[in-house]
Order: sequence, then C-alpha cells, then structure tokens
Amino acid sequence: MNGVALIAIVVFLLTYILIIDERIHRAVAAMAGAAVVVFLGIVPWDSLLEHLDLGTIFLLMGMMIIVNTARNSGLFEYIAIRTAKFAKGSPILILVFFMLVTAVVSAFLDNVTTVLLLTPMLLYVASLMKLNPIPFLVAEIFASNIGGAATLIGDPPNIMIASSAGLSFNEFILNLGPIAAVDMVILVGLMYLLYGRTMKVTPEERQVLVKTLNGLDERAAIRDMALFRKSVIVILFVVFLFFIHDDIGAILHTVLPFVDPAMTLEPAEVALIGAALILFWSREAPEMIFEKVEWPALFFFGGLFVIVGALVETGVIAEIATFMISNVSTTGEAMIIITWFAAFASAIVDNIPLTAAMIPLIHDMSGTMDVYPLWWALSLGACLGGNGSAIAASANVVVLGIAEREGIAISFIDFLKLGMLVLVITVAVGLGILWMMYVV
Amino acid sequence: MGYYSSLLQRKFKDVVGKRYETVLREYGEFLLTKEEMVVPEIESVLLPLDAFATGIPDELVDVLSAYNATVSLTYIVDAQVYSLLTKTLDRDTTEEFRRKKEEHGRQLLDAISRRLENSGMTVRTRLFIGQKGDDVVQMAEEYDMIALSKRYGGGETETSSISPLALRICQRLSIPAVIY
Repeated sequence: MNGVALIAIVVFLLTYILIIDERIHRAVAAMAGAAVVVFLGIVPWDSLLEHLDLGTIFLLMGMMIIVNTARNSGLFEYIAIRTAKFAKGSPILILVFFMLVTAVVSAFLDNVTTVLLLTPMLLYVASLMKLNPIPFLVAEIFASNIGGAATLIGDPPNIMIASSAGLSFNEFILNLGPIAAVDMVILVGLMYLLYGRTMKVTPEERQVLVKTLNGLDERAAIRDMALFRKSVIVILFVVFLFFIHDDIGAILHTVLPFVDPAMTLEPAEVALIGAALILFWSREAPEMIFEKVEWPALFFFGGLFVIVGALVETGVIAEIATFMISNVSTTGEAMIIITWFAAFASAIVDNIPLTAAMIPLIHDMSGTMDVYPLWWALSLGACLGGNGSAIAASANVVVLGIAEREGIAISFIDFLKLGMLVLVITVAVGLGILWMMYVV
Repeated sequence: MGYYSSLLQRKFKDVVGKRYETVLREYGEFLLTKEEMVVPEIESVLLPLDAFATGIPDELVDVLSAYNATVSLTYIVDAQVYSLLTKTLDRDTTEEFRRKKEEHGRQLLDAISRRLENSGMTVRTRLFIGQKGDDVVQMAEEYDMIALSKRYGGGETETSSISPLALRICQRLSIPAVIY
C-alpha cells in the first residue's frame, strides 16, 4: 500500500470519526475531507465529477422540493390527526396505526420529515392517554426504518444503491417490499408482546381521549386547501411515475410514436419532474421552497462521494474487494457477510456513510461473482441496521432528539437493547427471504 | 449533560435545523398545550340572558358540562326601558309590558334550564328588572366564570359582531369569560 492510499484511508477514517461525533457539522466534515483529497490531487477534477453521484443528489433534491411544498399545505398534520382519530381511543390501535402510517409515508417520502411531523402528534396523544410515550416513539422509529427499506426512494441508502447500480423502483418493490411487509408484521407482534400489557386506559380516560381527539379538526390543520389537493395529486403522480419510470418510453410510444420505446427515466429525473410540476402548479414562491431544501444534507452526500472516491482512486477499495473475493467463494456467503456487516456497521457509523463506502466495493466484486443479490443484501443491512442504535439513522436521531427536548429520556443502552433485538430479528428474516429468492 | 445526550442534540441540530420549532408552532395553532388541557376549578357560572340572547349553542353546553359547575341563568328586564314606559304610557300598558317580558323571560329560563339539566348540570334561575351592564358586572364578582352572548343587550352591526353592551361588560370583568 503506497503513501497516497494511506492518506486516503486516514482522511476517510478521520472524516467518519467526525461524522460519528458530530462536533463539527457532518456536511462540513465531509466537505473538509473531500477538500483534502482534492487538494492533494488524489481525486482529480475529471474523476471528482465521476464519483459525485448526481443521481442520488438530484433525487434527494427533487423529493425535498416536493415534500417541502406539500408541507406548506398542512398535509402531514392532517394525516397525523386522522390517524389519531381513527384509533378511537385505543392505545394499541394508536400504536399500530401510527406504525403503519409511518411505514407507508416513510416508504414514499423523506423519513426525517415524516417522523418530525408525526412525533409531536404521537407525544400529544400519549400525554392525553397518560401513558408512557416511549413504546410509541421507539415503534415509530422502527416502522420508519423498515418502511423506508421497502422502496427506492424510502431511505437514502436505497437511493444511493439504486443510482449507482441502476436498479429500478419496481425491482426495489419486488425484492425489498415483501421483506418490509413481513418485518412490519413481526414488529407489530413484537411491540404488542413487549408493551401490550402496559397500554391500558380506564373507560373514563378513553372517553376523555376520544372527546379531545374528536374536538380536533383535521381540516383546521390544512393551511391551504388548494395546495393540499395539488400536493396529494402531484405526490400520487410522482409515485405512479416511479412505478413506470423503467417502461416510460414503451408506454409513451403507444400515444406519441416519436418517443423512443427504449427510453427510460432515471429516478432523479422523476423527482425533478415532480418538483417542477408542483412548483409550477402550486405557484408557491420558489425562493421560499429552495430555502427549505436541505443543502447541508446534499453537500454531506457530495463530500462523502469524493472521500470514498479517493479510496477507489488509490485502489484501497479494489484491494478490499480482492480480499473479500479470495475469502468468499459464493454469492450466498457474500450476501450473509455484506448483510450482517452492513447491519452492525450501520448501527455504529450511520447508514449513509456506510453505504457510500460499500457501493464501490460491491462494484469491484462484480468481475468474479453475480453481485445483483448483493445490492439487496446491502440495502437490507444498511436500512434495517438503522434500527440498531440511537444514532444509526436520521429518523432515530430526530425522534429521540424530540423526546429528549420534551423531557422523555431514552438512554443509549435502553435503545440499544431493543434496537439490536429488532435489528437481529428483522435482518435475519429479510436475509432468509433473500436467500430463498437468490440462493435456494 | 452526558456524552450521549450532547451527541444526540448535536446530531438533532444538524439533521433538523430549525424545522422543529416551526413544526411546534404550526401544531400549536390547533393542539392544546399542557396548561390549556388542565380544566380550571370552576364551581359557579353566570349565564345572563335577555330578549336578544335567547339561545345557547351546543358547543357552550359542552364547555359548561366539562366544569361540573352550578350554572346561574339570569334574565334581566331592562330597567331603563321599563322606566321610560312608565313615564310615557299608562299604568296598565306598562304592567302589560312587564308581564309579557317576565313571561318571555320565564319561558326562556325554563327552556335553557331544562337543556342544561339534561346535560347533567345543576341550574339556578333568576329574573329581575335591573341595569343590565352594571348588574351583570356586579353579580359576576360572586362567580368563577361568566358565559356571555355576543348579542347580549342587542345592537350588534355588520361591522361589529359583538354588541356594545357585551363589549363593555367584557372590559369591566375580572373573571374568565366565555363569549358565544
């Protein structure tokens, strides 16, 4: 290993330590690391543009624009109130409905925004029921990470994997959708077993809860009815486009013969089309919406791609891949190693930087084995590994951060015990399903 | 603050920025705060009625039933009007006016009283000739809360949805008021 490779490794490790510790903003840490490898010429300009995965960055940007425009209408608050009312005062139903809604919304929209807007409502309902809010909060975290695993756009690791490996939305639904569905059923059962007995309210408390919730007018949450309707239509249209993005040319060709039937739309293009559509139709001030785009997150991704690019440029990733290939003889073995490594490493590092580092490794292994199942193994491990610890995924940080601000303490160890249990069960089940799909 | 707690807050700040404050503000527009959810100790409620304030909405019944308080329905016949009539009309006509006003008042008190009692409240009724503004403010001092109609005393206009008398009473009250 030469000196340049050593520098790339040191920059990589230092940056990841800074990201874990976060005394310096993660975006700044990633940009600083990227600046070092660019300054030293480890990643020259031409390569930098190759390593920057614009598919991921533009997809995130497009979805941020759609979600932030839709947020202005009060859509998420409406969903939160409707969910709370639908449970008719039953704590178990509130737990289950919020888990399902969180999972479904997280599957199609940004996890952070989903939990950021659902958690205050969950805390409010828990306080009305005079119940310990912790089971509701941890269940919401797990549901968000499992729901996010189901689709291409559900979780940043999936976006990164899809963009780099060229996987379609439907492939994600077909490969990870069933796993997420089975894991959700298991999670509901697990939460019921762990907390079901403690979730009891007296008939009087239930009556007060129903009365208070019925007093909430979900329509009052809608700040702009026209924008609300447009947001729902655009989100449904974008989801529809995601479903057909791989066959869009063939579909358009039947009505517009000049369209090449082989044409496809990249997921990032779908998101940007949706963003343009909602901005054009809603007439929301674009400068206000662009202000809400999470630029630090986008620069964080950009920086990570460059730092990992330095490892690729210096041959470090290729060496690790060679080592892996020489010690792993079958795709099945590689699936097991990648899934469990990604799961446990995600719990420590945060699943986004972990995925950024794992993607080029899998690319390098493609010469000697079929890596198609390995993408699903990585996605499974990275997304569900997010349940492992309090800092493993952004949704965890948001929910636990809100809880702490509201005086509800969930210790790192307490979360770790439960999170690891959920991680092991859900990853094992998911790996079992993948095994049946690709190995047996 | 331990390392985990400060780490969590650092990460939270970096991921969420100032969005949480905005979300809380938006929820605050339609969710009750902890303080607002605590039902205050209200044992007696004054509910003035007159020829203009002749009905109460269901929402008011819901609010009053939450307190488990005694509601005093008070119908006041305007003494100033009665005095003017005494000076300008003969005694029989004036008495006829007073009798009809009191009959209307009794019917109104009985109807509203029944409605409140059906909702499980204890109700007292009172009818007298007096100065609506001064008497209501004076009586209110003996109660924990007052529920006042926007039409009390009459005279609301298209530009002002609350009557001048109701407005003046509100300005002089020292107890919580529900305006309906």
